[in-house]
Amino acid sequence: MIQVTELNKRFGDVVAVDDVSFSARDGAITGLLGPNGAGKTTSLRMIYGLFRPDRGQATIDGIDIARRPRAARRLLGALPDARGLYPRLTARENVRYFGQLHGLAKAPLERRIDELVELLDMAEIADRRAAGFSQGERMKVAIARSIVHGPKNVVLDEPTTGLDVMSIRALRRFIRRLRAQGRCVVLSSHVMQEVSALCDEIVVLAHGKVVGRGTPDQLRALTGLQSLEEVFVKLTLGDRYVDEHGPLPESNRGAAATAGDGSP
Amino acid sequence: MSLLLAVFRKELLDSIRDKRSLLSLLLFPLIGPVLMSVALTQAVEQQAPVESLKLPVAGAQNAPGLIAFIQSRDIEVVPPPGDIHGAIRDQDVDLVLVIPDDYGQRFRTARTAIVEIVCDQSRPDTQSSVRRVRGVVEAHAQAVGALRILARGIDPSVAQPVTVTEVDLSTPKKRAAIFLNLIPMFVLLAAFMGGMHTATDSTAGERERGSLEPLLISPISRRRLVLGKWLAAVVFSGASATLTLACTLLALGQVPVERFGMSLSLAPGEIAVVLVAVLPLSLFVCAAQMLVASFARSFKEAQTYMSLMVLLPMVPGLVFTLQPIKTAGWMMLVPLLGQQALLMNVIRGEPVTWAAYWVTALSACLAALICIDVTAALFRRERIIFGR
Repeated sequence: MIQVTELNKRFGDVVAVDDVSFSARDGAITGLLGPNGAGKTTSLRMIYGLFRPDRGQATIDGIDIARRPRAARRLLGALPDARGLYPRLTARENVRYFGQLHGLAKAPLERRIDELVELLDMAEIADRRAAGFSQGERMKVAIARSIVHGPKNVVLDEPTTGLDVMSIRALRRFIRRLRAQGRCVVLSSHVMQEVSALCDEIVVLAHGKVVGRGTPDQLRALTGLQSLEEVFVKLTLGDRYVDEHGPLPESNRGAAATAGDGSP
Repeated sequence: MSLLLAVFRKELLDSIRDKRSLLSLLLFPLIGPVLMSVALTQAVEQQAPVESLKLPVAGAQNAPGLIAFIQSRDIEVVPPPGDIHGAIRDQDVDLVLVIPDDYGQRFRTARTAIVEIVCDQSRPDTQSSVRRVRGVVEAHAQAVGALRILARGIDPSVAQPVTVTEVDLSTPKKRAAIFLNLIPMFVLLAAFMGGMHTATDSTAGERERGSLEPLLISPISRRRLVLGKWLAAVVFSGASATLTLACTLLALGQVPVERFGMSLSLAPGEIAVVLVAVLPLSLFVCAAQMLVASFARSFKEAQTYMSLMVLLPMVPGLVFTLQPIKTAGWMMLVPLLGQQALLMNVIRGEPVTWAAYWVTALSACLAALICIDVTAALFRRERIIFGR
């Protein structure tokens, strides 16, 4: 369980995160949705403790990351914004290094790596050096090393960026599996479809503030709109929102929402 | 401890697989000794008397006395080339002694006879031969002059109010010190170069690859992380210094310096002492390099800083080499300066107290620990982690 309470972060005069609060349950996928620059990555960095909040706190299973960072990080697996691998190490060696840093013993670590290789379909690349990996292959290794210690809580910053359709589908299956295992998953995205396809709870961020929160159905009810993309745009723009498409027949809107792209 | 070892092993493996890290490790062990033996061979050849000099003489029949004198001084007189000036220009011969036809007549009438040494002054390699022939001719002239004065009933020393005699107090060891001074400089440079790439790659490189952020999310203390990376760089730096020393000494063994009154051999004890003096410096140098590289915005910028840092050991090294100033006690407290002062004493064969070793080693260790702590603190800063 990840609990975020009134997080604040400013860089100079720019307020990047402004009183952001939300909680992410175990056994659920919570999505941070927002346009670029909404404060998603900054919020996540405060959750995994690389940014120190100006005010407020983030706790992992009740442990304040700013106060006891190492204890909190043991309970957390994070795929941060930067996801570089060591190009001269093989996929397996990359993952093994992070397992060692989490203090895993040799035999369980090797078993866990084999499990992840199987789970993320990395058998072909496991013993190749990372230098020539494709985006998708790199992402698999980056995800494997972030959860090598089997953390109860998993934070993924824009996990689908740069992936092709097949890889995205595989990744979704993987994330749902984490949920089925009872883990708490938080992911960020600026892609509406991504979030609506995966998340049980959505937190919409705009200009560093939480502008909406709830299940996809609750958000539709809140804004009185059917298409989630419209919901997203309306929440982001606030008072400046105008329905570009004019009033549409209710049935038509429903169709657009199922199609998932929201435009006629 | 096992976390620290995990970092150390990973960085070591990563560096061993990196061509640039290996290059910076092997650069000085390979280049240093070559430079050294070239410089030494050159110097030895210029200083040494030429074994047996073949001197082309034109008009040898005009001065049988002079020729006999020259031959008695281990110089072989050979016939001159047909075109003297051409042969000199084409560097077929180094010099030609020309004795004019009126030599005999002038000699008999006690007038000053003139002989010419035809040579090319712009060729430094012929200078010792020219000096030698000139000396022999002048010695002959002086001997004949003294006889003539004596024949007129005057003491020859009247014509020689002052004589200069050089008293050379340098021992073979001290003469060799000029060259031996180069050894500590090479070893120090190797300590700087050896771990340089590992230190940069594991800090600025780590950030540029985008692997620093995930690394810092893992539950390892910053201090242990930095210590592990530092140890890997130290291994490279120390290995480079040790290899450089070994290769330089091997190369020196190939140069026949003893014949020219120099002793370049270091006793095994002295070799060990050089390492004891330099290895603590590796600790400090790598820590300082990591600290500086962590500040750099990019890998390129870090590399620029590194190459500037390499100049550091050259400054005192050059001063010690060109102007042998006396080493003072306070120098031992300053890392780098202390090691160089220590090495200088060892090389010159001056006594070094154990206290001096301890003081230089401890000051280097202390400075290294400070750099490590500052680097660890930097890795808690948002600006450093995310490269501003």
